[in-house]
Amino acid sequence: MPDPGPLLALEAVTLVSPEGRSVFRDLHWQLSRGARFHAQSGAGGGATALLRLCAGLAEPDAGRVLLDGVPLSAEGPLHPFLARGALGWVPSDGGLAANLTLLENVTLPLRFALGLGRHAAERAARTWLERAGLDQQLQERPAASDHRASWMTGLARAAAKGSRLWLVDRPLGGLDAAAALAAEAILDAAARDPEVTLVLVGGAWRSGLGRELSIGGGQVCSADVVPGLRPGTTWGSKGEHRERSEQAVPPFIADAP
Amino acid sequence: MAEQWAARLGGRVRRAFAQLGSVSWLLAQCVRAALRLQPEQLRVVLDMTRIQIRFTALDALPLCCLTATLLGGITLLQVFGQLSAYGVESYLSRVLAQLVIRELGPLMVGILVLSRSGTAMATEMASRKLSGELDALCASGVDPVQYLLLPRLLGGVISMFSLVIVFDAVALLGGFAVAWLQRPLSLPFFLHALGRAIGHRELAATFGKCLVFGLAIPLLCTAHGLRVKRSSTEIPQAVTRACVVSLGVLLLAGALLSVLIYA
Repeated sequence: MPDPGPLLALEAVTLVSPEGRSVFRDLHWQLSRGARFHAQSGAGGGATALLRLCAGLAEPDAGRVLLDGVPLSAEGPLHPFLARGALGWVPSDGGLAANLTLLENVTLPLRFALGLGRHAAERAARTWLERAGLDQQLQERPAASDHRASWMTGLARAAAKGSRLWLVDRPLGGLDAAAALAAEAILDAAARDPEVTLVLVGGAWRSGLGRELSIGGGQVCSADVVPGLRPGTTWGSKGEHRERSEQAVPPFIADAP
Repeated sequence: MAEQWAARLGGRVRRAFAQLGSVSWLLAQCVRAALRLQPEQLRVVLDMTRIQIRFTALDALPLCCLTATLLGGITLLQVFGQLSAYGVESYLSRVLAQLVIRELGPLMVGILVLSRSGTAMATEMASRKLSGELDALCASGVDPVQYLLLPRLLGGVISMFSLVIVFDAVALLGGFAVAWLQRPLSLPFFLHALGRAIGHRELAATFGKCLVFGLAIPLLCTAHGLRVKRSSTEIPQAVTRACVVSLGVLLLAGALLSVLIYA
């Protein structure tokens, strides 16, 4: 069987922020299928920008991004990988439609991308929202919910779709202990599938992360986390990073050509 | 001086063509998106279209009826006054049918839809874009053209047709009622004359204008709404531009269609 190649490839990508600041310069980076990354960057360091590039939501100023071997482009129809609902996009604010309830926000992509009927989609959405601890808020709209609920809904949406690639940004305002546990449980469930690829920004959960990404200076560096030494929960209250493993091996440029 | 003026004029022409190009591209995307719809997606789109029709047509009915009654009444009074002076009241239905059905109905409904729904569409699209909702939709596998734009276009066209029919009927009957208060007229005679006055060309003009206006308003308003880039201060500017451009297109397209059909 031919090698399907990396799931995601950034080729000579240069990204300049709207303020004119260079975020990435000639970046070459690949994400293998089934890879697990925990990305860290300072404020404005580019972690969120990297996620947006990977999701095709930011157009590079130079270079190109290949997702599943097909270039991502803002023009034209949806990228086939996105169109079949294989991307689990969880931005800081959850990325919800303001006019839909939390339940409808999860149901919509199941109907649209996966072609599930209304009732089947609602059942699946309900299941994952309950696992996210939102069973009392199913009919609330995002404006009536807090950031935690919105972000958890985004996570439930990614899980309900059976996403192959998860791009998860840190939740706005952090998570309380119960929500952090629920988030970990959802991520654990996703990580059981060896084909699932995960990139988490600003947080890690107790199991399953193989490598740590460090983003800064226009480049992406990765380091293997020593097996058995688990990064601490970092989506605690107010999103503060509590203890993280100090025993990661020194960073290196990931998959540079 | 002349060069500067020519350069400015050239810039405007270029911008106008660029705008026309981007709107045409958006329309082409809509057609392609419509052809790619899967059965479940079609159900979602139809659900959204129903909501659009409720907001654009059903919720606008009271305003539409009020405008139609007043406008029909005033028009009829004016026309009636003029015709009475020459003793040709029998032409009342014909003049009224031509005036309301050919021109006033589609144009007034177009302005109504633009002011109520067009502005809302432009604002909504701009807000969705700035808040990252459009990005999230794309990333979730929901094509914004299929989910947001297509229902608005379908809803726009259906709403225009429905409202124009209601507007014309209310304007003509309301006008008759107002005229009847001044001088007793025969309703059967009025309706009979009206039926004879409405021909293929009146229907063609109405349908043509409904189709063009129903497509142009959502398309232009969403296109302008989607043009915002970073700041919420761009939203009112985008809405104003959407209104002005759409109004210009309504007037221009209305006049052009009338010339094409009646010239």
